[in-house]
Order: sequence, then structure tokens, then C-alpha cells
Amino acid sequence: MHFLAYILRQTGKNLRQTWGTQVMTLLTVTLSVLIFAFFFLVYTNMLRASTRLGDDVRLIVYLDQEIPASTRPELEKKIRGFGPVEKIVFVSRAEAFARLSTQLGKEKDVLNDLGPDFLPPSIEVYPLKNLGDLTKISQFSDFLLTLPHAAKVQSGSDWLRRFGYFTNLLQVVVLLSGSLLIISMTFIVSYTLRLTVLSRQGELEILRLLGATSAYIRLPLLLEGMLQGLLGSGLGLAALYILYQWIANRFSGPGFLSLFDFAFFPPEITTAILLAGVLLCTAGSLFSIRRFIRI
Amino acid sequence: MLRDASNDKPLVELVNVTKIYPPDVVAVEDVSLRIYKGEILYLTGMSGAGKTTLIKLICRLETPTRGLIEVAGRDLSQISTAGIQRMRQKIGVAYQEFRLLDKQTVLQNIAMAMEVTYASTKAIRARVDELLSLLNLSDKRDKLAGELSRGEQQRVALARAAANGPSLLLADEPTGNLDPAATELVINLFRHLNEKNGSTIVVATHDESIYAETEHRVMALSNGQLSALPNHAPRQIELFEA
Ligand SMILES: Nc1ncnc2c1ncn2[C@@H]1O[C@H](COP(=O)(O)OP(=O)(O)OP(=O)(O)O)[C@@H](O)[C@H]1O
Ligand SMILES: [Mg+2]
Repeated sequence: MHFLAYILRQTGKNLRQTWGTQVMTLLTVTLSVLIFAFFFLVYTNMLRASTRLGDDVRLIVYLDQEIPASTRPELEKKIRGFGPVEKIVFVSRAEAFARLSTQLGKEKDVLNDLGPDFLPPSIEVYPLKNLGDLTKISQFSDFLLTLPHAAKVQSGSDWLRRFGYFTNLLQVVVLLSGSLLIISMTFIVSYTLRLTVLSRQGELEILRLLGATSAYIRLPLLLEGMLQGLLGSGLGLAALYILYQWIANRFSGPGFLSLFDFAFFPPEITTAILLAGVLLCTAGSLFSIRRFIRI
Repeated sequence: MLRDASNDKPLVELVNVTKIYPPDVVAVEDVSLRIYKGEILYLTGMSGAGKTTLIKLICRLETPTRGLIEVAGRDLSQISTAGIQRMRQKIGVAYQEFRLLDKQTVLQNIAMAMEVTYASTKAIRARVDELLSLLNLSDKRDKLAGELSRGEQQRVALARAAANGPSLLLADEPTGNLDPAATELVINLFRHLNEKNGSTIVVATHDESIYAETEHRVMALSNGQLSALPNHAPRQIELFEA
């Protein structure tokens, strides 16, 4: 079958004829994949981190009087009415005192002078640990303050909320760089292909006269787009991996990154990005072929 | 190869074909013509008579304003894109203005015609060498087409048209730039294709010398209208009886 050999040879010819532009296109595709994949990587890591934040995500409502067991279910229902909650714990004065004294251990003597009444009763609310709720924590705590007998609400650590906001911001960045990726790939690739078509205008015209089939004329151009997509996203991901390795080595040990347990994409995501790159570039070349080639 | 065609189905049939270029240039008017398998047909006529237009109509580079054109029994107005592509692979056309790629070599130019049929590189090389030697161009094989003389380019265009051993060869003014010796080579190529390959050949020309002694049909176009040339009309009667 000489068919494949011809298509491949023609593709090679096209690439050689416009190689300067081809390199620029490849770089553009690589760069946009790199930018997108970078933000996406940070984002997915933050997402994973947020699910492991643990007890820090806790709201404590201090009360000015004990809540009798009989009214607890009603209160609980009210809290759950506001948003998804993992669990709610009612802590009475006595329980709070007992907890503190076990925490103090040997030094619990300091409590002797104080009666069990000095600690206020409280309700501990554990919201579901997902990002949407992290950013809603301040609203949640405002709400909790309106509960009967609520005196004060202590809402976890402030940085948690910031973390939530930051991750949301990152989500926007990921979406933006994703759109940039789509635009750059389809447009740049279709533009480059237009150059290929123009540089071969005379040849294409003759091929038409000689009865070249649509496949003979179009497949090499389609292949060109696919190659750009495959090479571009491959290089982009490889660059990101090198960057990731560098960062991981640089900041290994205890610290920010170990907190997040920074990890590279699993193979499925890598494959998906690669495929998306090929698909987008192929779409770009299809667009050009339909537009500029008349059979 | 002169065939008695009266019972054959024609390879090319034109029925009352008129071609008007916008806005109102009548290039071909009400032409009916049958071209039979294996024949050599000379089309003559003054400049602007419509010879090139007729050839373009047959390979569907132009579509008729009115009338029917059939090639190998298929109505060209009904044929699909893929069908036209297949048909063009079997029709060799040597254009009046050559249409070569100046920046490619002679070999590459001729090879293109065979490449679109996915012929093997070896077969292409052999065929190109054969054609170039028939046309006395062997030493020009690796020269750029743009650097050749008009007469050489003309022969390259013919070689490309003949490359696939076409069932129909349309040659538009194939000897316009050639000296008598080169003209002889071209005529021999036609004869070779016609006899060895059974190719049907249509030659548009106003070079009287190439059809003066022929035993084949010669048709004259004049202001877009076709008539058989008086002293070359062996089959004129059979032609119009249909
Ligand atoms: N693309 C076109 N658009 C408009 N008019 C055209 C076109 N091509 C040809 N014509 C006109 O149609 C008529 C026939 O032209 P054609 O090229 O068929 O003549 P010809 O017999 O091949 O002439 P020559 O011997 O000079 O090659 C001429 O009057 C020409 O001006
Ligand atoms: Mg002409």
C-alpha cells in the first residue's frame, strides 16, 4: 500500500516548506499547554489538600447558657438548614471542663480554684470539607450568631477562608488559561495551515487537475494539525514535569509543599490533556481545510 | 489505430453543447460530437475559435451552459466529486499554457500525475525515463521546469499528460513552440500511445503540418461551431446521423 507512504511523504514536504512557521506554532501550542497545565496542576493539588484539612474547619458557637437536651434536635435541624454539615457536637459546661482537665493532664491542679462554671457551654459545628463551604464560612458564622443564646462564634483559622478564596480564584485562572488554550490551538493551527495551503496553492491546483483524491490532498494537512497537537501538548507536559521536578526538589522537606503533598497529574489526566491537544489542533486544521481548499 | 466506430459506444459524446462565458462570450455553440475509443481526432480553428474551451468542457474544467456531455457513458453534470477525480486520473491533459510547477524539477512535475494514483516510486521512475527519452528530454530530468525553454516545457507538459497511459489524452496546441524535429517526436508519442495503449487522442491545433497527411478525422471549429474539414472527413456522415 503506497497510500500511507504518500500521505506521510506529503506531510513531511508540507512541514519542510513552512518550517519557520511550524516551529513558531509548535512553540505557541507548547506554551499554552504549559500555562494551562501548570495552573490546572496547582488547582488539583489545592483541591486535594482541602479535603485533608482536618479539624481546622470547625466553627465553635459559645453560648451564654446551657442548651437542655430536649431542644437540641430542633437547634441541630436549624443549623443543618443553612448548609451541609458533617457533624454537630453540643458541649456542656461540665464536658468542657472535663476536656480541658484531660488536656492539662498533670497540671490540672490549676483548675482547682476555678469552679466547673468558668468555661461556657458551646456547640461545635463541622461543615463539610469542600471548597464551596470554605469560602462560605464567614456567612455561616454570621448565621450561627443569630441562634438563641449564642454569644460568640469562633470560626476556624482565618487562613482557611483565604485558602478557599484563593482556590476559587485559581479556578477562574484555570478556566481562563483553558480558554486561551482552546483559542490558541484552534486559531494558530488553522492559521499555520492556511500558510501551508497558500504556499502550496499552485501545487494544489495542479493536483486537482490531475485528479488527486480528497484524501490525497486533505489527509496530509489533517496529519499536520494532529502532529502539531501531539508534539505541542507532549512538549508542554514534559516541560511542566521538569518544572514540577525542579520545584519538588527545591522545596522538599517540611513546609508548604509537604503540607499539600504536591503531586503530578495521574496518567489519565496526562492522557486527557494530550488527547485534548490533538483534538483541538485537528479541529483547527479541519477548519482551515474546509475553508481554503476547494476540490 | 483507425476503428470502424459505427457500432461502438463513443468514449466522449457532446450533444448540442453551448458554452457562454459571462457575460455574453459565446465560445462554443451548439456543438455535437462523438469521439470513439481508439481514434485520433484533430480539432482545428483560428485563434479564439473555441478549441481550448471544448477541451476544458471534456475534462470538466468548465461546465456547459447548455447541452449534454458524456465521458465513458457518464453524464458529467451528474458525476460526483470523487467520480471526477477518478475520471481525471484516466484523462491526460496537456494544457496550452502547460501549467507546470516552475520550482519543481521535470521529474517531479511528471511524477505528480502518477503519484496521485499511488504508483510506486520505481514504476514512476521507469515511466518518466521512458517518456523523457521518447521526447528527447533525458538530460533535463533534474532541471527545474521554470528554467527550460518553452519548447521543452511543452514536451514536459505532454509527458505529464501521457504518464498514466491515459485512456483519453487531450492535447491543446501541443506543438505550438516546437521545431519540425520536436514536432515529429510528439506525433510519434501520440502514435505510440494510440497503438500500444489504445489511447484516444484529441489534438487541438492550428499547425496544419501535423494533420496534413493524417488518415484520422479532422474537425474545424469556427466561431464556436464545428464542421468536418472537407478533405478530412472520412466519417463525417456517420457522425451526424445519430
Ligand atoms: N475564461 C474565459 N472567460 C471569458 N471568455 C473566455 C474565457 N476563455 C475563453 N474565452 C473566450 O472564448 C473564446 C474561445 O476561446 P478559446 O480559448 O476556447 O479559443 P481557442 O480556439 O483555444 O484559441 P487559441 O487558438 O488562441 O488558443 C474566445 O473569444 C475567448 O476570448
Ligand atoms: Mg486555445
